[in-house]
Amino acid sequence: MSPSRRVLDARGLACPQPVILTRKALAEGGFSELEVIVNTSSGRENVARFAGHAGCTIGSIEESSEETRIVIQPRVANLSDPTSTESLTEATMPPVEPGIQTILLSSRTIGRGDDELGALLMRAFLYTLTESETLPQQVLLMNSGVTLAAEGSEHLDNLRRLVDLGIEILACGACLEFYKLTEKLAVGRVSNMQEITEFLLEGKALSL
Amino acid sequence: MLVFATFPSTHAALRAEQELTRELPVELIPVPRQIRSDCGFGLLAGPLDPPGAGRAVVILKGHGATGLWRVLELDSPTSRHKEKRYEPIP
Repeated sequence: MSPSRRVLDARGLACPQPVILTRKALAEGGFSELEVIVNTSSGRENVARFAGHAGCTIGSIEESSEETRIVIQPRVANLSDPTSTESLTEATMPPVEPGIQTILLSSRTIGRGDDELGALLMRAFLYTLTESETLPQQVLLMNSGVTLAAEGSEHLDNLRRLVDLGIEILACGACLEFYKLTEKLAVGRVSNMQEITEFLLEGKALSL
Repeated sequence: MLVFATFPSTHAALRAEQELTRELPVELIPVPRQIRSDCGFGLLAGPLDPPGAGRAVVILKGHGATGLWRVLELDSPTSRHKEKRYEPIP
């Protein structure tokens, strides 16, 4: 039997709408594959991450210059009936995380004043974030904030814990180059002003 | 097992961390709200085996710790994180 496919066109929708619509479609069910079309990088990342958290399989991700098509195969709870797609319900799916989606760290310290205290506050903040119930989806690093994720940083353990919790760490490429740290990024990936601006404008963002 | 220690001031906690890095696996963290509601920093030592925890208590006291807690990590039914329970060490 060929798989039935539902197509969800989420192009042009601001975050977190693509994720909300994906969650709703998965809860409704009635298909064996869900194809979600998005045209922002944050939409692509967030839909794919949500599908993973919901226990679904990503069948394929096709990217063109205009859009991304993500094919999601719902998880099958009823193992005796592998064609069942009734396993995802509102109750069994993770919520669309409320609150702040993006945190921008534009300095290696928090606040102005004594640098030693500022660095200590940054350590305490990142540690406490790893213990928090409500998590952002991205942590963006700019200016001297990129040093937090570079080799030798005292924050690498906490940043790795955040990555393990599903948070993406993005470091401004121009900033890494300025500080001569391009080859020394130890956690996360290099990003650019377009992507960083997109994240800051699309969801609830907090700058520290 | 983990051991948590508080100090009289942020400076004292920072100094103790710097002095202890070669003796104990320690991490400077905010004082958990189960212990104290005001803002402050303490040292979390561990993971340690029971004899190691006993030695850590002596070492932390020797570096100015004014409060000590045994930290138990328990699975939580409602959270993705382990629940930490703090038992005072006299």
